[in-house]
Amino acid sequence: MSPEQTSLAFRANSVCALEDSALRAAMKQATDTFGTKRADAFAPVADLEALRDRASAIRDDVLANLPMYVDRFVASATRAGAVVHRAEDAATAREIVRTILADRGARRIVKGKSMVSEEVDLNSHLEAAGMEVVETDLGEYIIQMEGETPSHIIVPAIHKNRRQVGRLFADRLGVPYSDDPQALTKIARKALREKFLSADAGISGANFAATDTGSLVLVTNEGNGRMVTTVPPLHVAILSVEKMLPSLADLPAFLRLLPRSATGQTITSYVSVITGPRKPGDATGAKELHIVLLDNGRTEILAGESRDILKCIRCGACMNVCPVYRTVGGHAYGWTYPGPMGIILTTLLTGMKKSHPLVDASTLCGACVDVCPVRVPLVDLILGLRKRKVREGFADPRERRGMEAFGKAAAKPALFALGQRLAGAFWPLVRALGGKDVAGRMPSPAKTPLRRRLP
Amino acid sequence: MSDAEMERIFLENAATAAAGTHSVSDTGDLLAALGRVVAIDSPVFCPGMTELEKAAAALFPVRAADYAAAAVTVEEVFGAVAETGTIVCSSEGGRAVQAGLLPAHHVAIVRRERIFGTLDDLFAAIAFAPPTNVTLVTGPSRTADIELTLAIGVHGPEKLDIILV
Ligand code: SF4
Repeated sequence: MSPEQTSLAFRANSVCALEDSALRAAMKQATDTFGTKRADAFAPVADLEALRDRASAIRDDVLANLPMYVDRFVASATRAGAVVHRAEDAATAREIVRTILADRGARRIVKGKSMVSEEVDLNSHLEAAGMEVVETDLGEYIIQMEGETPSHIIVPAIHKNRRQVGRLFADRLGVPYSDDPQALTKIARKALREKFLSADAGISGANFAATDTGSLVLVTNEGNGRMVTTVPPLHVAILSVEKMLPSLADLPAFLRLLPRSATGQTITSYVSVITGPRKPGDATGAKELHIVLLDNGRTEILAGESRDILKCIRCGACMNVCPVYRTVGGHAYGWTYPGPMGIILTTLLTGMKKSHPLVDASTLCGACVDVCPVRVPLVDLILGLRKRKVREGFADPRERRGMEAFGKAAAKPALFALGQRLAGAFWPLVRALGGKDVAGRMPSPAKTPLRRRLP
Repeated sequence: MSDAEMERIFLENAATAAAGTHSVSDTGDLLAALGRVVAIDSPVFCPGMTELEKAAAALFPVRAADYAAAAVTVEEVFGAVAETGTIVCSSEGGRAVQAGLLPAHHVAIVRRERIFGTLDDLFAAIAFAPPTNVTLVTGPSRTADIELTLAIGVHGPEKLDIILV
């Protein structure tokens, strides 16, 4: 994840992914399941379109007034007893978290699922400072043990099958091999329970932050989010600034949309609303609550033409329906956020120089736009980035020449027909030149072009 | 929505979310229901803070002083939401919300009049001055992180029973 890297190797990664039949089977099964479950979950919802409009309007309002809402959240959370820290960039956020933990002598840290902490690469920073950081979401626990990064924002270990997980647990935890998901879950429960009870601090993300009450909202299924935020004496929450909701009373609309879009559930097993640390008379909550608000380029995105991506509530629906994501999986994208939403966010957060190959990773079919619960105009945003890519000179000159040639040929039927014949004749050569790259895998043109087969 | 209608929807949705549901009319029935859902000799944590909890606590010979050591937590919760089949746990009044999280079995007692129709009704009631922790609980703890196969009881309870009084 080093920003110095020249550009993301999306094409090369995709070629590897395409050759991995286990990965493709897992991706297909997972995204198909999610797609069906999502549709089933929304079927009984009356006025879904009105609900999406409302949620979209709330997110628009948040973005239109973001600095005001962030200030309001800071004031409310502070009043509730939390300590709020503002982090301009990833390095600052990492250092703030490390300092909070180090100052209190915290060495054993349990962590809930947080894509923002992945974005700032928090774990390695804390580990370098000698702390033990244990991911407690089952999927994250699995990939942490394997030394991998998430391949999906909701189910991070979606690329692994039960036998791989069984072998991993047998190797690392010294337990008998099992490939039964229920048995593997029990093994993880036991190992992680000890970690929770002995942890010095818990780190979590947050799905939403209510600006009127200063509350953090965590939407989870396993219960690890609840553990991390209530069992250890110190709770550090890290979230990006755009997670604001004007009021806690706005939450129901999002609770109706997020779980249905993400996993096809009516609601997740747990929704925690945390308002400040434990207060006198309380028997729940961390004794100290620190909230790290990360900007990391959001203010700049807000001022630009792609700002609507900040409406995103990270449900993952757009990737589950994306034909590109479904085929190559999350790792091919090469950074924290995959899928249509990831193309946009990655390009904006890491820059065109690094991310321009991603901008092509969409067919612009619009399936993502159809499912996005808060109406992020994903296709328009990707098109906007493609224009920027050409403007900023990152487009492949061969592509430009090819398009110009195609434009000329398409205007003259005779020339077009000649082109088709030439392409047919020289196809083996084209394929050979393409080598292992995507061009080398394009199907051959039809022997008789469609134009001549039409009456 | 009538009260009876709300109750029916709540019980139906809670059952869909894989919670055990029981509906009783008085304290005597409550104790009988508890006797059925809780293995009588398992270590039970029961805060004994409300009338119903006090009655329930007397039932169990083995009482765990601490929820972390208990096999079962029996408690009266803040309320419920019909729309989603959810029970609502609150830290108000010095309650340990995590008591319903650590033991493998959570038995939640809900008074009928504490059922909210929708999530909006619930949040309208708490949004003005929320306590330190409000947790909405719908069914047992679950994950689908391994091959999207549902597994129950990851970090929280593997069993949730709701007794409506
Ligand atoms: S862009 Fe929309 S569909 Fe995609 S993750 Fe964000 S909210 Fe979900």
